[in-house]
Amino acid sequence: MAGKGRRSVGKMTDLDLIPIMNLVSILIPFLLLASGQIKLAIIDSTMPAIGAPSDPSEPPEEEEEPPLTLSIVITEKGFSVKHNKEPKLEGEVAPAAEGEEKGPTVPCKDESGNELTTCDTPDHYDYVGLTKNLVEVQTKYARPDDQNVILAPESAVKYEVLVRTMDATRDEALLEDKAKTNDDGTYNTLFPFVVVAGGL
Amino acid sequence: MASKLKKHSRGRGEDEGLSINSMMDIMVIILVFLLKSYSTESITVAASADLTLPVSSATKSPETAVSVVVSQSQLSVDGEFILAMEKVADEANPGQTLTQFPEEEKKGQLITVLHDVLLEKAKQAQAMGELTGSDELGFKGRLLLQCDKGLPFEVVRQVMYTAGQAQFGEFRFVVYQQEG
Repeated sequence: MAGKGRRSVGKMTDLDLIPIMNLVSILIPFLLLASGQIKLAIIDSTMPAIGAPSDPSEPPEEEEEPPLTLSIVITEKGFSVKHNKEPKLEGEVAPAAEGEEKGPTVPCKDESGNELTTCDTPDHYDYVGLTKNLVEVQTKYARPDDQNVILAPESAVKYEVLVRTMDATRDEALLEDKAKTNDDGTYNTLFPFVVVAGGL
Repeated sequence: MASKLKKHSRGRGEDEGLSINSMMDIMVIILVFLLKSYSTESITVAASADLTLPVSSATKSPETAVSVVVSQSQLSVDGEFILAMEKVADEANPGQTLTQFPEEEKKGQLITVLHDVLLEKAKQAQAMGELTGSDELGFKGRLLLQCDKGLPFEVVRQVMYTAGQAQFGEFRFVVYQQEG
């Protein structure tokens, strides 16, 4: 019995790895294809919040500076940036009618930078101009904790324009001449918390 | 180097075949790496001609939630077909078509079929949360929205409104991450 065992050890052959190799060779291309090279990301957004009515018994809080309420209306003519800290001139018309008369704050532009009356494609919207405008608003009017923006697109505006507008409002990445300002290599944050309003 | 090897093998006096042990080692390492990277993707996108997600500079990683996919041809929830989209002539741009939800499936802004499905999903998640006592598995009102980049905002708004009516208040727009 013992002799038989010893003989079999002596004749032991290598493990046949070829079938395993075949399996692995099939799995690798499959996984390479399935994993893909395109990475996905998400953009957070919430529904517009309806504020709870304030308790009349409580005395109103005295704030030194009210929070910035920034909204961007996206129309086929461009972006209209509105906020509650705009300096009001004497004899100015009501804000509702004002937007219609004044036209967009950031109008459409073609590839060579010429102003257009309407944006025919998503590329005609001036996202860089919007970011520049928001940098100005942030510098002049925003408190450090003012990071919300309300986006109100028109019904016909393409979804791509909405996403690219979110990019333009998030940080200063679109401004090529702007150096990376943060220590971790990210761009200066503008208004990253987006609320998508019902639209027009 | 190659001649040295040749000499060496000749010196042994036997013709050794291709040693696949080292090849196996390499393959197994690649396999483990690929399996690891494959499992980190919490959501998948069914690529099709009708669904092209917009490209964004956002970097936040996707997390698992109820997924609503709105392509140019159909609406689906968690991979399950809900309804077909309708193409109508665009009055503002003659010769072009607009994608919208069929009128008979809507009640004002509310898409009735989607509302029923999402309400069911919300109830399931709430029941799961109560059963397990886990916040992780419970209902958080989060919705992953995968929409074709060419859809008009009206379609997205109607989905958001319907989801809001079905207790989903937080939206995650799924986008392709910009390279570089």
